Formats: sequence, C-alpha cells, structure tokens
Amino acid sequence: MSEKPIKGQTKEEHCGAKKKKTPAVHIFPEWCKGCGICVAFCPKQVLEMGDDQKAHVIYPEKCIECALCARRCPEFAVYVSGDTIKESKKKSGGEK
Amino acid sequence: MPARLPYAYKYLRAKKKFPHVWCPGCGIGIVMGSIIRAIDSLGWELDDILMVSGIGCTSRMPVYVDFNTLHTTHGRALAFGTGAKMANPNLKVLAVMGDGDSMAIGGNHIIHAARRNMDITAIIVNNNNYGMTGGQFSPTTPQGAKTATTPYGMIEPDFDICKLTEAAGANYVARGDVYHVMELDGLIKNALSGPGFRVVEAMAPCPTNFGRANRQGDAVKMMELFKDNTINVAQASKLPKEKTEGKIVRGIFVDKDGIGYTERYQDLCDRVSSGVKK
Repeated sequence: MSEKPIKGQTKEEHCGAKKKKTPAVHIFPEWCKGCGICVAFCPKQVLEMGDDQKAHVIYPEKCIECALCARRCPEFAVYVSGDTIKESKKKSGGEK
Repeated sequence: MPARLPYAYKYLRAKKKFPHVWCPGCGIGIVMGSIIRAIDSLGWELDDILMVSGIGCTSRMPVYVDFNTLHTTHGRALAFGTGAKMANPNLKVLAVMGDGDSMAIGGNHIIHAARRNMDITAIIVNNNNYGMTGGQFSPTTPQGAKTATTPYGMIEPDFDICKLTEAAGANYVARGDVYHVMELDGLIKNALSGPGFRVVEAMAPCPTNFGRANRQGDAVKMMELFKDNTINVAQASKLPKEKTEGKIVRGIFVDKDGIGYTERYQDLCDRVSSGVKK
C-alpha cells in the first residue's frame, strides 16, 4: 500500500515537469573561460561562478529568457532555450 | 530565435576551431556574435558573404565563422576586399578590422575606400591598443592612457574613427559598444543592408592589456565603464554640453544612400559597351 502513492506522486511530478515549459539557460563548460560577464549582467541572478572558475546555472526557474547572457557571452558558451529542460538537453547532446 | 544555440552552430566552425584564442572577457567575441545575429536576421546565404580581415586579434575572426573567408596581410583587408568585390559584385563583402589594422597600417586604404564609396561594410573593433603583440599604443589610444609603450601616459591625440570616415565620405557611420549589445546588433544590421562604404566602430574591452595597464579592472568592470561613460546620440543632443563632456557618443552619425562604386562602374561598362564615346 505504501508503494502506490509514492509511485503516483513521482509520476505526477514527472508529468508536471513535462507539461510545464520551463525557460532554460545552458552553459558549455568546455567553451567557458570564466570571464564572469554573464554572471554580472544577468538581471535575475540566475548564474553564479563556480569553484572551477566557470559559470553555473544555479536558479534556472528564475530565468526570464532575456538572453542577455547569450548575447554578451564572448565565448558562445551560453545559450537560452524556451523548450523544456529535457528536450533542450537532448538537443545539446545531439549537436555536440 | 536569434540568440539561441542553432544560430551559433549554423554560422560557426564549432567542431574544429572552438574554444577560440581570444582572452577571457575580450569583447571581440561579442562583436562576432552581433555580426552573426545581424546576418541571421537578414537571412543571407552563407556562400554569398565574404569576410575579409588583416592581422591582429580582431582579424582572427574569419577563422571561426563559416562564410567565405579571407585572412590577408596587415592593414590590407579593404584592399583585398575591393578586389574581391570588383571581381564578383554579387558578393557581400564584410571587412573586419582592429583599430591598429584600420587606422594605422591600413589608414590609407580606409580613407580611399570611403572616398570611392566602395560597397564594403567595415566593422572596426576598437580596443584602444595592439592587443595581440602585448598592448602597444595605437592611433586610437586616448590621450593620457597608459600602454606597454607609453608607461607615463600617451602624449599624442587620438583618432576619432567616426569623424575620420565621415569626412572621407562614407555612406554610413555608427558607433556602438559591447555593453549595449542589442544596439550594436541593430547598427551592424543597418550597416549590412545598404549600398556604399559603411562603417561601424564597435568599442570593445581589452582586459588583458589595456585594462591592466590602466588599472580598469577585469572584463566586467570594463563593461561597466562602457555603461557609465557612453551616451546615445539622441540623448546627447537634448542634454546641455556640461553633462555630455567626457562621454563617448554612440549611435548613427551618417546614414545616406549615395551611389556605390560597383554601380558606377557598371554604368561605365554599359555606357562604353553601348558605343557612346564620351
């Protein structure tokens, strides 16, 4: 009995994540040189510098898709996608 | 969707040449992104475009974009571009130059390309020094600024790229900077979509050499300097002179539809071939 609701809950969460279109910002760590421009000029503080001197997405849910990070990135290491996170991950995997 | 992944992969030699050689925080990458977004919004075919460059940090740009590209000798981007344009007038020639490349070594070429109204779009990335060779002063280094070869401050006055090309007769002259990147996108798009010699000066930070010599801080602080020290031409005309003093004016200075050189040359060819002697 205890397993069923847990399964149901995970399914619901899973379905919810699929239906909801979350704006997503992605960073290619191989191209990022850690200049910090995207972090400094993000209007919603979505990004943060990591210990490895590269930008990391900390609050993807705050992203408003202004794409200023992508426009100002000198390394072409940031891109912003309006698709769901799952779809865009697939795309980035395929493009590489 | 201009600012997203597919544009980069369509226009860049992403698999072979990246990450690029420019220093962390260098503004040339941002200008390259602006050029790509402008071309993307115009919907041009990649094979119709020729990107010419000389030598220098900026002139490394043709290595990374997937147009027809030509990497030539120092300062001679416009000379080679003129030849290519006359050989194939259907090409859309885009000359990418640095400040030293265009103003010092290629200074003669730019004034004569502007005088002829050659149908070339010149994107001049101005980072105020020769970044590739270690930060020597260039003709656009501001008076008083320190560089590797002017440790006590530059004593020579600097060139104003926009005023120079305007006086030489260019069809379109504009200045943008990499902090106001949306504006720069628009300026480059305007520059690409018209006849005659069209110039965009894009101010970019050089945090490794110029920023370090002048203690301007890292790339982010240099970008903030552009935010604080520049003013749009429309705003500048409304404000009194005291408030705009010391600020760099950006925006469109000249925009006219003068007849380009290729059109005049085609007219000449038609006239002569139809048998009219004078």
